Amino acid sequence: MSGEIVEKVVTYVVSNIVDNPEEIEVEVVEDGEDAVLAEVRTAKSDMGRVIGRRGRVAKAIRTVARAAGDEEGLDVQVEFLD
Amino acid sequence: MDEWLEAEGESVEAAVQAALEALGLTSPEQVSVEVLREPKKGFLGLGSQMALVKVTQKPRRRRRRGRSGKGDSKGNSGEGARKPEKVANSERSGKPSGSNGSGRSRSNQKQSKGKGSPDSRGTKPRSSKQREGSQERQTRPTNKPNSKSKRPSQEAAVTENKGRDNEPKASIEEQATVAVEFLEGLVGSFGLDGDVTSRIDDEVLYLDIDGDTEALVGNRGVILHSVLELTRTVIQRKTYGAPRMRIDIAGYAARRREALQIYAGRLAEKVLADGGEVMLEPMNPADRKVVHDAIGEIDGVRSYSEGEDPNRSVVVAPE
Repeated sequence: MSGEIVEKVVTYVVSNIVDNPEEIEVEVVEDGEDAVLAEVRTAKSDMGRVIGRRGRVAKAIRTVARAAGDEEGLDVQVEFLD
Repeated sequence: MDEWLEAEGESVEAAVQAALEALGLTSPEQVSVEVLREPKKGFLGLGSQMALVKVTQKPRRRRRRGRSGKGDSKGNSGEGARKPEKVANSERSGKPSGSNGSGRSRSNQKQSKGKGSPDSRGTKPRSSKQREGSQERQTRPTNKPNSKSKRPSQEAAVTENKGRDNEPKASIEEQATVAVEFLEGLVGSFGLDGDVTSRIDDEVLYLDIDGDTEALVGNRGVILHSVLELTRTVIQRKTYGAPRMRIDIAGYAARRREALQIYAGRLAEKVLADGGEVMLEPMNPADRKVVHDAIGEIDGVRSYSEGEDPNRSVVVAPE
């Protein structure tokens, strides 16, 4: 497993959405065979931005993260933490 | 010596109210108002023109109150399509009133945040706004022409307005630039090779990612729609508004449109031959529109939608 693209993509997207890009942290950890978990940490005040109205932004981030995982043959889950 | 300022608002009343708040006044009686520009309606603030008023405080000046607003939780969600109004601040104290009870004035909010006043949502002040120059903004009003003995000239006021203009009022061209930059970075982060272009037509922003970028389309365009959603979010976040947008990636949307038109034509033939109605699989609004438009071109059939998103479907029926 690598998850390098997943990490790049998720970091890029999230940092473009939040107010405090310097406070985000994206960690991609192995989560079973050919699967990774991307843990996204943001400033508390940015959680709303990352989740979006009715979770729309979070859903879009997950979709794009999975697309990134496909590039590496990985299933991707994304968790948002503050 | 009169304290005066100019303020903008969606209506003359709103502008006056914003000015009053900025001056720390409560009643329109305390000021005289000169309407410099009447408001015009536009689409989501695009092409619209805010009312511009010059408000002069009548003699017997009062000290500004502190925060009067109860705070606002909606105005800065970043999702609202509403354009923030600008409030030209009073030159005297350079102190923003921070009163934003109505959520009308984003710059006011920003100022109040910059000053470390409590965020109305109970979270800590959103510090990144600093990047957008809240500090600058705090000091700027103090540099503003002061009404020493004579009233400041119109010219000075205009200059000041310009200074405040740059942030909330992004043109669709600027929004296009933000979108293209974001998408180029996204394509790059995927390690893909693609060209991003934009086109503006009738106030709609068309974005196109071309090249070896099928990976960004997804099953039935699900990734494409997410990319659009994120692009919209980024534009919203950086320019405080978002235009209507369409996106195509690797020619998918164009092919999809064509396929849907052909499919709609076949269904129309079937309905014309057999009678009865045909319900299509659920589609997103953009796809449904393609079908409706295609059916609308064919005599003898009509179409309507049934169900609720995301399971809303087009039904084709005899006319």
